[in-house]
Amino acid sequence: MKINSHTPDSCTTCTACTIQCPVAAVTQKFLGPKLSGPAMERFRCIEQEYDLSLEYCSNCKNCDITCPSGVPISTLNVLAKDNYYKTHRHTLRDWIIAHIGALHKLAGPVASLANLGMSNPISRWVFGKLGFTAGMQLPRYSPQTFLTKFKDIKQRAYPDKVAFFPGCYIQYNDPQVGLDLIAVMQANQYEVLVPANLECCGTPLVSNGYLADAQENALHNIRILQELAAQGIPILTCCTSCGLTLKREYQELFDIPGMHMVAAQTYDAMEFLLELESKGRLNTALHPVAAHYIYHAPCHLRAQGLGRPALELLDMIPDLKVTDADAGCCGIAGSYGFKSEKQDIAMAVGENLFEKIRASGADGVLSDCGTCRLQISQATGYKTFHPITILRQAYGEGRSSD
Amino acid sequence: MLENDLIVVGSGLAGLMAAAAASKKGKRVLVLTKGAGTIAIGGGSIDVLGYSESGRQLDNPLQGLSGLSTSHPYSKIGQPALANAVALFLSLCDEAGYPYKGSLGESQWLPTAIGTLKPTCLTPLTMDAKKLVGAKKIVVIGFVGLKDYYPDLIVKGLERSLPHVAKFETVMLDTGLTGGKRDLNALDIARWLDKMPGRQSCIQQLKGKVHPGNLVLTPPVLGTSPDYQLLQEMEEATGCSFIETVGLPPAVTGMRLRNLLVRYLRDRGVLFIEQADVVAAIVESGRCQGVITHNIDRQRTYGAKSFVLATGGFFATGLRSGPGRAWEPIFDLPVQVPSDPEEWSGESLFSGPPQTFAYFGIAVDSSLRPIDASGKVILENVFIAGQNLAGYDYCREKSGNGVAMATGYLAGISA
Repeated sequence: MKINSHTPDSCTTCTACTIQCPVAAVTQKFLGPKLSGPAMERFRCIEQEYDLSLEYCSNCKNCDITCPSGVPISTLNVLAKDNYYKTHRHTLRDWIIAHIGALHKLAGPVASLANLGMSNPISRWVFGKLGFTAGMQLPRYSPQTFLTKFKDIKQRAYPDKVAFFPGCYIQYNDPQVGLDLIAVMQANQYEVLVPANLECCGTPLVSNGYLADAQENALHNIRILQELAAQGIPILTCCTSCGLTLKREYQELFDIPGMHMVAAQTYDAMEFLLELESKGRLNTALHPVAAHYIYHAPCHLRAQGLGRPALELLDMIPDLKVTDADAGCCGIAGSYGFKSEKQDIAMAVGENLFEKIRASGADGVLSDCGTCRLQISQATGYKTFHPITILRQAYGEGRSSD
Repeated sequence: MLENDLIVVGSGLAGLMAAAAASKKGKRVLVLTKGAGTIAIGGGSIDVLGYSESGRQLDNPLQGLSGLSTSHPYSKIGQPALANAVALFLSLCDEAGYPYKGSLGESQWLPTAIGTLKPTCLTPLTMDAKKLVGAKKIVVIGFVGLKDYYPDLIVKGLERSLPHVAKFETVMLDTGLTGGKRDLNALDIARWLDKMPGRQSCIQQLKGKVHPGNLVLTPPVLGTSPDYQLLQEMEEATGCSFIETVGLPPAVTGMRLRNLLVRYLRDRGVLFIEQADVVAAIVESGRCQGVITHNIDRQRTYGAKSFVLATGGFFATGLRSGPGRAWEPIFDLPVQVPSDPEEWSGESLFSGPPQTFAYFGIAVDSSLRPIDASGKVILENVFIAGQNLAGYDYCREKSGNGVAMATGYLAGISA
């Protein structure tokens, strides 16, 4: 059954969530999580009231992270948004953003054509008209998807196996992160299985008020993943939003047999490696990496309640210096920053972080989330990497086998 | 299991002080926290002891210590520990570039948002009540649209409590932020003043309304970050002294203190895990081996040599109650209460005799380890700090942050 009772009862209206809400910090257009969540929920219990300012919620989860009373604030907001769109029409732009996983399936195989289609002046004009952020570079398609590249990899066989849930961003835009994960797991004597036919985890569908579609994706993914989970095979993610959705959103929003088993076996890749270390099972033959990076912890990682495992892992690499930016949300919140009416907000939210990065003089920025990396590199011009890439470098696992 | 010297459960003032004290001793510290702690919305000043247990107003906290009952946390830990805690707190605020002022030998009387004076002990320099002494003219600033903050009300109250002040005036400033979806709070205004256009507009609007030598009372809005840049800028631009009043949540001053402490700890390698809901502990022959967090995906276990339990009182769910009983939920520690719930509370919530329920909490020995009814230590390596302690009424005595700071310090040193 659903884990969450979805009631606002334990809210004491202390305002802690409103204080930490990155959107409310930069705009008065949003009522803030307390008012739009638990406070409005009391009215929604009686009649269909919808506060349009809820459109400004980016579903970043900082309200949940802050709440001392365990109120399911972001879930209340997600459900209210979904309810509203049962009787109201979405914009075409929001449909596109929410269903990006399905669209990738069409565009991915013809990557160069799709990239050309997105970057020429005419389509940029069309995108602008639809309500996409003008200055923001849409993520480019990789010439080959992760799955295509994966098929060419000859892994060493080991009795210990993990499964990898690549997610849309790694599958279509940034396959290198997935390849780096495989190299790191191989260095730790694990064989990586990648199930075919997985769907988008559903994060953009949840955030944009398409819960029925998100549930279809969840049903599909859980059907595939529970077979692995039942065999005791850990499921790894290298995207903190995919991870949060598999672990938490499915269980909070839906009632699907097997979802708890899948959640219990899902690990953020860094979390999994750190657990290996605590069991004495991690390969600690790490070569020096002489560099200084600044690390940004994605909100959807912080919401998983497991700290910042990448920092502890990277700390083991000789000569490497990693500083924690600890400067809050980057602003993009997955799909939020691609919406033209939200662009100024998304950039203002990230400004603290961008300033810290610019002042760091670091060689690059590390973050576990693909769209965080995109936002950061576009705002600061800094190179960005997933921490797994640095770990791979330290293992000296070259890219020749890719 | 990861090896930590100390795990602190809770990141309010007690938990953060415990982490600071232990990390200063070179310990590897992990803080597990559910929510950001009410310190972030609180007033940020450290009340140590404003009133005796019988409700008598004290000249200073030291004066009241000897009169406290033996079960009061201050009596348990003793005056030297309290003095050391104050010293550590002041030194780390200094080190972080946001010094606090005050001492145990002196109470400070802070103006509040309803025009009363409230006793406290340690304050940021933005709340230096000394400036009230000898003030001739006080200008009370308000902001259009700021919720629950009325300069006229403040003046009405202060005219009574500060008879030496010859003249009060009020000034309303406009941030231009009104008309949005929600009421303005102090934090919105602090964020407006963080940025140059807001600052300039504020200074511009004050021109001609305040004059050099005036004392200016503002809501707690002088910037969000723990430094005094904005205070200095405002004082230089106007030639006036400024005091931030004690306001309602979000009071910004508490947020500054939390940000300062968290940054201080992170810089010293203290690890934090947010969204960590500790639900149980592994205890073997009187020693805690680890604590267990319950997340929606699965449980996780964290081990350490010792533990500080700084989970707060009933409001923060560090303590729980049901009809006729109360308990501590992680270690299931005993909380002594009258079995008849009728005896828990009196009819007058704040104005009558002390409330029995306010004293409910975990009984401890002099090093803050939990004890049973016979006084025997229940857990050798677990130390209790802050509002889950038995024996004091922070609301009545004005001792909340003081007990949190002092017991947090001692727990961190002992652990």
